Amino acid sequence: MKLFKLPDLGEGLQEAEIVKWHVAVGDEVAVDQPLVSVETAKAIVDVPAPYAGKIARLFGGEHAIAHVGAPLVGFEGAGEDTGTVVGKVETGGKTMADAPLAASPLAHGIKATPAVRAQARKLDVDLAMVTPTGADGLITAADVQRAARILAELGPQEVLRGVRRAMAQSMTLAHAEVASATIMDDADIDAWAPDEKVTLRLIRAIVAACKAEPGLNAWFDGQALGRRLLKQIDLGVAVDTPDGLLVPVLRGLEHRAPAEIEPALTKLVEDTRARRVPPEDLRANTITLSNFGTIAGRYASPIIVPPTVAIVGAGRVRKEVVVADDQPAVHRVLPLSLTFDHRAVTGGEAGRFLGALIADLQSPR
Amino acid sequence: MTVAASFEIPYLQCLDAHGQPVGALPAWAQDTAALVPLYRWMQRMRAYDAKAIALQRTGQLGTYASLLGKEAVEAGIGAAMRPEDVFLCTYRENGAQLMRGVSMRELFLYWGGDERGNRFERPIHDFPICVTIASQCLHAAGVAYALKFKREPRVAVCTLGDGASSKGDFYEALNAAGAWQLPLVIVLTNNQWAISVPRNAQSATQTLAQKGIAGGVPGLQVDGNDVIAVRQAIGEAIETARAGSGPTLIEAMTYRLSDHTTADDASRYRPAEELAEAWQREPIARLRGYLVAQGAWDKAQEDALLKAVNEEVQAAAQAYLDTPPPPVSQMFDHHYATLPAALAAQREEWLAGADGTDHPR
Amino acid sequence: MAQITLVEAVNLALARAMADDERVVVLGQDVGRNGGVFRATLGLFDRFGGERVIDTPLAEALIAGMAIGMAAEGLKPVAEIQFSGFAYTVIDQILNHAGRLRHRTQGRLSCPMVLRTPCGAGIHPPEHHSESPEAMFAHIPGIRVVYPSSPRRAYGLLLAAIRDPDPVVFLEPTRLYRLFKEEVADSGEALPLDQCMTLREGTDVTLVTWGAMVFDTLQAADELAEQGVMAEVIDCVTLKPLDLDTILASVARTGRCVIVSEAPRTAGFANEIAAGLAEHGLLTLLAPVMRVTAPDIVVPYAKLEHHYLPGQRQIVAAVRKTLEFA
Repeated sequence: MKLFKLPDLGEGLQEAEIVKWHVAVGDEVAVDQPLVSVETAKAIVDVPAPYAGKIARLFGGEHAIAHVGAPLVGFEGAGEDTGTVVGKVETGGKTMADAPLAASPLAHGIKATPAVRAQARKLDVDLAMVTPTGADGLITAADVQRAARILAELGPQEVLRGVRRAMAQSMTLAHAEVASATIMDDADIDAWAPDEKVTLRLIRAIVAACKAEPGLNAWFDGQALGRRLLKQIDLGVAVDTPDGLLVPVLRGLEHRAPAEIEPALTKLVEDTRARRVPPEDLRANTITLSNFGTIAGRYASPIIVPPTVAIVGAGRVRKEVVVADDQPAVHRVLPLSLTFDHRAVTGGEAGRFLGALIADLQSPR
Repeated sequence: MTVAASFEIPYLQCLDAHGQPVGALPAWAQDTAALVPLYRWMQRMRAYDAKAIALQRTGQLGTYASLLGKEAVEAGIGAAMRPEDVFLCTYRENGAQLMRGVSMRELFLYWGGDERGNRFERPIHDFPICVTIASQCLHAAGVAYALKFKREPRVAVCTLGDGASSKGDFYEALNAAGAWQLPLVIVLTNNQWAISVPRNAQSATQTLAQKGIAGGVPGLQVDGNDVIAVRQAIGEAIETARAGSGPTLIEAMTYRLSDHTTADDASRYRPAEELAEAWQREPIARLRGYLVAQGAWDKAQEDALLKAVNEEVQAAAQAYLDTPPPPVSQMFDHHYATLPAALAAQREEWLAGADGTDHPR
Repeated sequence: MAQITLVEAVNLALARAMADDERVVVLGQDVGRNGGVFRATLGLFDRFGGERVIDTPLAEALIAGMAIGMAAEGLKPVAEIQFSGFAYTVIDQILNHAGRLRHRTQGRLSCPMVLRTPCGAGIHPPEHHSESPEAMFAHIPGIRVVYPSSPRRAYGLLLAAIRDPDPVVFLEPTRLYRLFKEEVADSGEALPLDQCMTLREGTDVTLVTWGAMVFDTLQAADELAEQGVMAEVIDCVTLKPLDLDTILASVARTGRCVIVSEAPRTAGFANEIAAGLAEHGLLTLLAPVMRVTAPDIVVPYAKLEHHYLPGQRQIVAAVRKTLEFA
């Protein structure tokens, strides 16, 4: 039962005499509906219902004394429950749903105590450059001081940026992953016309060799141990620029008309040198050509950058004494190096690729 | 088998539920004029109490524990104690505290959440309200011991409720008071309810007064709604203590006409009929009935009293509301006689509002 | 000037305080005629009488609660809780009342009481008699926690505690009660509260400790000195309020800190010092702050007690570890 107690009648009055009830047990009353008239020392006052409800009980008959604070009317139902005897415990409306996260493994970056870190800051030493000598990779104060001394003597080292930085990063990765092997040979190009362009012939020869041995125009996933033989031949062409080595990509060589290739290549090299090549044309090549012979050198074992599995290196054309028709002769030869990722390419495949490459190069046109 | 010991618990009632004298009144009460101040005090307490509830309802006071229905116990204590005696009470004895000289404004400050309310300008030896149940009995035993030790003719009076009589602290204090014959009067208000636990579930004893016997302390019951009986019993007990004749436990039988606190809803656990019936025995109407029958009180006096009391309570409430809020530094003040350095540093931090981001070191 | 033990120094200080100030009273179980189960109050009953040396009923809450009432009415009670294992009962009175009385009356009432109790393990007693409750008391606002480790410090600090206008929990290391003697003058001079005491100077590591472990820590320092490691030994003495500055200054010189406590590890008082060092002394640290503590277990019965209590060996090992760090 909800108890309605006689409220404060004002002016410190403590009680009143019940004059007349206006409701009976069982009545449904509306809020503010007069329940009872009571007589105080001053006047006859109507007491209104504080809320709507059904009367369950009336306390006191006519002429009974009702006290302020004492039960006057009982309403059916239960009162509001504060749920406490002290203070106020807030009820919020929200429903929370949160689950604790799984614990993440402990990660250790650079290990140095706060004092050593502060010292490094003070001496302007980059902790990433400091070789730790403490237990378990801990950088000690002495290590920081040593690094500071070296820096003072040698001056600051150049921090690699941009293309050079990218090269350092990708070569590190490649070196860690790739199982490279190299086959070298020469192509006898004496039969070429004098105006033949080495790079264009190399490109044509690579396309021919890819068709003969598709296994070297592929992407290899060293984690999943999966290989994709690629239909498209997107050749990365190594270009030396003042900023460093860039490898723009000639796309779709498997279907491009031979006459297209030279202008495309020329534009590509120009754009590369002018740093106009968009990033998407510097990636996703399927095989690579490094014509380092334009500078110097014969044979090489260039670095394969995953996911490609082969790189053709071409050295400087030279005149050499060869055997032709069982007789010594001086011919122009083009030295070739084929480096392949032996995780994905067999020696046989590589050999056949090289053979096809040389065959195409040795044909007069 | 013979009887090793037997005890009696006397019961004192001077005015019955209808305000009729039961036998001869104590001498001091036969002068009806002497009863009027008690009546006036009870009305003041009730008005204060109603105001406190009203302030709580309007969010201007924190949780408040009403004394509705026990005004006679309060008045009996307040009238029987001397100013130099020491009062250690619970949260439901604001009425006696008012009679001891604590101001309404100080009480409002306490309930409103400001320690300055305990700084009592007048009863400077009285303890502040004790919230933890029955601990005040131990403190009272200590106070009583000190008063006896100093050979001062002063008495310690502590109060507790029926629920508190189940606590170890109560018993330990009682036992020590008996063992050392301390000048201590323990007034146990049995208002029949400890929050939602009724008296009969609290203890199997026939009376709570007889718990004194367990400590060798005389116990008696009084009708707690009869201010004459309460004043008589407490007065006697205090003078017994003052004379060095030891402690007394008085159980004052009354009824908690209010909820346990303003946050409690007693209709959850007790029958409305019982509550309504208890109102028939309430103390203020009872004394008024007697005074009016004796020709010592009339309607004009009643109106004047209610008017005066109402004004007093309004003014006190206003004085409380007008009190500027406590400074943040009050949190740190008076933790020690001299604030230690580490705490002084924290005080600085908190006052700067830096919340830990500025370090004083 | 006599050579006396720690418990005799407590006795001397009590006698001195009671002679100097008639408001000082002693209360507790068996403190009167029996002179206290450890004889800490020996002779006081005969000298000052039963009103001032009070044999209480067996009721710890009563002892602490009465002390509060007595203190509020102008006496200076020195309450004894017979063993620290029983001191937990009084946390209610100390935390809810003694520590609050001054503040909640905004200075109108105050509580100049002392609560003494023997603490710590190592006397091979039955269970519950080997507790280290200092962290629990140190967590309570409004009180002081003092823990002497020698006869001279016990004498001077107890006098200071009794004279202090605020509640003091005075923890006495049972194991050191009679373990060694020291010359103590009955000068009536108090030692300063709220200050750490540096017992040894050193440059290589700072050892911070209190209570009975001071004894083992000093022995460890001796052993380390023979090996060329100079350890600075700081006795906290007043745990609350803690004089962190002395510890910080020492670690600023040594760069390394080992905190030694016989209490269980989790949430122990050593953490307070470690946190203070992390917050205010981080850049002076050359190695992590080490704690030598007991494990987080109930004090074992006597047969395994010596495996539970940390000692010289563990302290020296911890110092070695901190020196080897970098």
